[in-house]
Amino acid sequence: MLEGLKGFIDLFADPQLFFATTVVALVLIVWKREAFSSTRWGWGLMIFLTVFFAFGLTDSDFNLIITKPDNVPIVGLIFLLVFFTWFSMRQAVDNDRRAAGGQPPIEKDEEDRVWTWPDLVYTELISMVVCTVVLIVWSIGLEAPIEQPANNANTPNPSKAPWYFLGLQEMLVYFDPGLAGVVLPSLIIVGLMAIPYIDKNPKGNGYYTFNERRVEITIFLFGFVVLWSSLIVLGTFLRGPNWNFFGPFEYWDIHKLEALTNVDLSEYVWVRGFGMALPDHWFVREIFGILLTIGYVAVLPVLLARKGLTKYYEKLGPTRYYVTVILFLSMLSLPVKMLTRWAFNLKYVVAIPEFFFNI
Amino acid sequence: MADKRAVGHAYNIDFLNVVFAASSLFVLFSTLWMIWDDYDREWKNYQRQFWALEQEVTSADLALAERDVDRARVAELETRRAAAEQQLAANAAQVAELEDQLADVDRQLFVATRNFNFTKANYDVDRYDFESRRDEAGGHGEGEGEVHVEGEEDVTALYERWLEEGLIVERLTAERDALRDRIGEFNAEVDAVNDELGALTGEADRLRGLVADMEPNLIDNYLLNAPLLDFMAPTLTVRQTITPNIVDDVNFIRVPKMDRCQTCHLAIDREGYEDYPQPFRTHPNLETYVGSSSPHPLETTGCTVCHEGMGQSISFVDAAHSPSSPAQMAEWEEQYHWEESHLWDYPMLPSGMAEASCAKCHKGEVFIPEADNLNLAYGMYERAGCNACHTTAGFTDQRKPGPNLTKIASKLDEEWVARWIRDPRAVKASTWMPRVWYNSNTSSPEDAVRNEVEIDAVVAYLFANSEDHEPAIGFPGRGNAANGQRIFESVGCLGCHIAGDETREEAGPRRTFGQPLQAIGDKTSYVWLFDWIRNPRHYSPETYMPDLRLNDFEVADVATYLMGLTGEGGVEAGATYGPEDVDAALLDYMRAIVPYDEAQAAIADMSPEERQLDLGQRAIGRYGCYSCHEIAGFEDVQPIGIELSQEGSKLLPQFDFAFIHAEEVPHTKRDWINQKLLDPRIYDRGRILQPLEKLRMPNFGFSEAEARLLTTAVLSFQRDVQPKESQVPRSARKDAIIDGRNLVRRRNCIACHEIEADGGDYRQLVEDSSLAPPLLTPQGAKVKPEWMYAFLQEPITIRPWLDVRMPSFGLDDAHWNGVLDYFAAISDTVGPFRTHDVELDAATVETGEELFELLRCQQCHVLDTIPEDQDVANLAPDLRMTPERLQPDWILDWLIRPLDIQPGTRMPTFWTEYPGSFYPQFDQDANAQIESIRDYLLTFSGGPSPMQQGN
Repeated sequence: MLEGLKGFIDLFADPQLFFATTVVALVLIVWKREAFSSTRWGWGLMIFLTVFFAFGLTDSDFNLIITKPDNVPIVGLIFLLVFFTWFSMRQAVDNDRRAAGGQPPIEKDEEDRVWTWPDLVYTELISMVVCTVVLIVWSIGLEAPIEQPANNANTPNPSKAPWYFLGLQEMLVYFDPGLAGVVLPSLIIVGLMAIPYIDKNPKGNGYYTFNERRVEITIFLFGFVVLWSSLIVLGTFLRGPNWNFFGPFEYWDIHKLEALTNVDLSEYVWVRGFGMALPDHWFVREIFGILLTIGYVAVLPVLLARKGLTKYYEKLGPTRYYVTVILFLSMLSLPVKMLTRWAFNLKYVVAIPEFFFNI
Repeated sequence: MADKRAVGHAYNIDFLNVVFAASSLFVLFSTLWMIWDDYDREWKNYQRQFWALEQEVTSADLALAERDVDRARVAELETRRAAAEQQLAANAAQVAELEDQLADVDRQLFVATRNFNFTKANYDVDRYDFESRRDEAGGHGEGEGEVHVEGEEDVTALYERWLEEGLIVERLTAERDALRDRIGEFNAEVDAVNDELGALTGEADRLRGLVADMEPNLIDNYLLNAPLLDFMAPTLTVRQTITPNIVDDVNFIRVPKMDRCQTCHLAIDREGYEDYPQPFRTHPNLETYVGSSSPHPLETTGCTVCHEGMGQSISFVDAAHSPSSPAQMAEWEEQYHWEESHLWDYPMLPSGMAEASCAKCHKGEVFIPEADNLNLAYGMYERAGCNACHTTAGFTDQRKPGPNLTKIASKLDEEWVARWIRDPRAVKASTWMPRVWYNSNTSSPEDAVRNEVEIDAVVAYLFANSEDHEPAIGFPGRGNAANGQRIFESVGCLGCHIAGDETREEAGPRRTFGQPLQAIGDKTSYVWLFDWIRNPRHYSPETYMPDLRLNDFEVADVATYLMGLTGEGGVEAGATYGPEDVDAALLDYMRAIVPYDEAQAAIADMSPEERQLDLGQRAIGRYGCYSCHEIAGFEDVQPIGIELSQEGSKLLPQFDFAFIHAEEVPHTKRDWINQKLLDPRIYDRGRILQPLEKLRMPNFGFSEAEARLLTTAVLSFQRDVQPKESQVPRSARKDAIIDGRNLVRRRNCIACHEIEADGGDYRQLVEDSSLAPPLLTPQGAKVKPEWMYAFLQEPITIRPWLDVRMPSFGLDDAHWNGVLDYFAAISDTVGPFRTHDVELDAATVETGEELFELLRCQQCHVLDTIPEDQDVANLAPDLRMTPERLQPDWILDWLIRPLDIQPGTRMPTFWTEYPGSFYPQFDQDANAQIESIRDYLLTFSGGPSPMQQGN
């Protein structure tokens, strides 16, 4: 029975299912936010997580993963992430309900000004004391996660990035290192810096709301919770030796194999489509991938401006619109690439090993 | 709660107060917990426990020391002291007056000395002042036209004053000394008595002081180590040894080792704690290890260079202690929450395996004195032929360990060989020949056909490629088996061969140097055996088997006896097969290197016999039979195993445990190697493998103890990490010793002879050690090299009453010189050129003869005739050999201390009072007496001699 449950969870932890589950969960949270934001759901989620990890402790394999001093913060991260997602959604739903009834948001009811002492200083003091307690107990309870002397002839397997970069490391599975390690991270930073200039919507300032900022919040949740945080969780708990996938209750066997049968787009087109050998010249060989890429980043935004996103084009103006759409498409390129990998075993859209250039 | 908020407040302050109070309590408790956690550290508790133990041991020492004090003498001295003190009291007035005077002189001397020093200081300043002023003015103190500078007279005057003050100091010092002497005269008796008392009770007093110091005391034991106060000057401290010349390789840099083991192992270098439990036990053999006068002192050698483990760590688990048995592992898990440490690549070697580290610094040596386990392990390593398949630094260029198979047809028959190969240990339980087929990955019924096909093919190949051999005597007559057995058991065959029920583990690698002879009657023919015993080199010119100089009748007796050693044993074929199975196996082999069509065609071109021979050759190549045996067609083929020269330095992830889980074989390097030795094919278990993908190391049937020793040997093969400074310095003498140690082991001299306290296994087979092969450690000092050389070339009988004899090895000059150099080097004698001439004068020789008769040397020593009515164990060599054989200086040494040179000898020590003597000659001067006996011995001649045989 227990073993069956573990087996079921292991099955569920396959990357496709894991990703699909998080996406579906996000859709459900947004769609059924009224129900999700109830106190019962809040408690339910917390209890579920607690039971899950308590149960996980009883399994020797999962126990090793979650009690590793490096990973303990990630367990904490899961609780905090779920709690704050739930909490902000709850506040937003409350306010939306008030707005529908013609009332101002609940934050309007709060006092404008409070005393520095005790309201600010006292709470800060309490926070400091609590932080101190947590740090002391943590440092007594968990040993520093040191390892044997570094050895270039014997690197750790799996070699994991620090936890906050595990999302990036996961991208390396799907993208060329140049893209996953340089271009996309730069775009993330540039995109985050650009948000204040792009987002002209003045609503939601100083109070929680969902209805007034549906698209923005949904995109944020998708980018942060699904593409960033859940990939950290995945990288921490589910990636094992040789970067293979392991269910939480699966033994990390270094011998586990995965057949690498991915192929490039050029092979799909030339070999399977036209039934001929790959052209010798790289440009001819990759022409379809190059066209597809140009279409994705250059033509698609224009088409979308004509149809589909016309409303945004008009609201934002051409500059803001194109910046936004290109950033959005870059973000979407990760799930797109994941989907094509899973569905078609697609390795690279453009693969030019002659120049070490792959997309 | 919102309703309870006061105006202008975001929170309910009462509630915040409660939160604050609670969090403050938490911070208090967590801080206390932190302090306690630091106070309660593992090593601090060990040090606290050690206080009591140290006091207990020192008190016991004190009790012993006090018991040894001569009470009567102390009482007598105390009486004398009382009398002397009384005497002193009588003169009290006089003494008091002198002491007053002394005090006065002391005061004057103090003032005078101070003035003297101050004047000197002022003089130095003024002189420098004057010199620099004169220099500035351009003068230099001499010659014409000298510039005059004011003040030189003042400097001179100050110098004069300083000299005068010096005189005063000298006078007062003399006065003070005189007064002290006079007072001393009164005190002389009391002081003398006190000195003697001090000498008597000194050790006890010292220990009493120590015990008193160890009394738990509030400040040292508790206050300085109290929580929070212990940052200042705690008495509980981490103790460490930093070894500049011994390093840790942390991959990017080598750093001096920092061993903190003594933080808990507090008595490791102190005698007296041998019987206490760890971590307080004394290190065994302090004379060799850890002791400050040993070759491996703690201060410069540290701990982890030998024991491995993480020296910097001060916790049991992190230091990477390794259990030596599953029972110990269970105990540790219980007691210390032990688990295999992953913080350090080289966990500690389990107890008994530390000798694996010797080679780190004893580089270029193979056999190392006192490393008995390691030497035994290396012997086993060579005997099993590990180095034949696995190239190993230090073990290269060795003879192939198995018999030569190029003339196999004249010695064996095919049926026996197939049965033998199928399971050698079923035929001869103590053989080193391993089982190549029917192992754990090839013993299923499906494998049986393939096994039989390959075995038969190998046998067919060997016999098809066998050369002819013509025995020296075609039709030897049979001998007397009973006499053969007597010869076999007494002449020395048992040094290298076992014939009885002894297991290989019991006999050890030295006594299994030659083939075990169980069931040899089933194996070969009488003609071959006769030929072999008569002269092994006739059949196999490169054999290490020596010639025992048996005559043909004795040879016949021994051969007849051995032919009688028969026994059932051996395993029947596990399957029958047809020619198509041979073809299939051959195709499988060929497919690995050539395309399918080509392989098919090649097979089709061969006759069935050719196919079998071809398969046999390929199977021999795959299983590496030729690594151990000379086989025609494999003269220049490389051995099949991976090189093991640095196996001990390989890291754990490089060992593949496959589907063998940690519950069955702990995932450590040593357990992997150990398990590999116990079942070389185990890591194939649970895998689907084609025949040519399977592991192929054969199974030697090692016992647990043998596997453990070999694991030690393999772990000792390490890469070079330690710097030159830590290496044993090399010299010509050292090189001679190293080469010699290798030689006497690789030729198995030490199976019979004990050399450098190692070996001599044969001696245990002889009831009386006086009748056993001699100890050879002192040989270099004892025997003249030219005699020794002649003897080794063609041994003569020195002790006719012994059954065991020295064989003729037939080595070349390079080897014999190596042996002579080795003996010379261990006794540190200078070399072959020495002055042997002793000036003999008639009177001395006459006294020598007198003593010779007095001491009745001839009672045991042969002098032409063997003494009658004497127990054979007491007999001693013919003294007529002395001038030719023995070093004259050694004879002196031998007469003085025979038991030191040869423990267990029957030679009496006549000069127990040395350098005094019981005997009246030469005014009881032992040296003169001994020399006279030596001189007398040197006048003998005409004894047996190896040098007159025309060599």
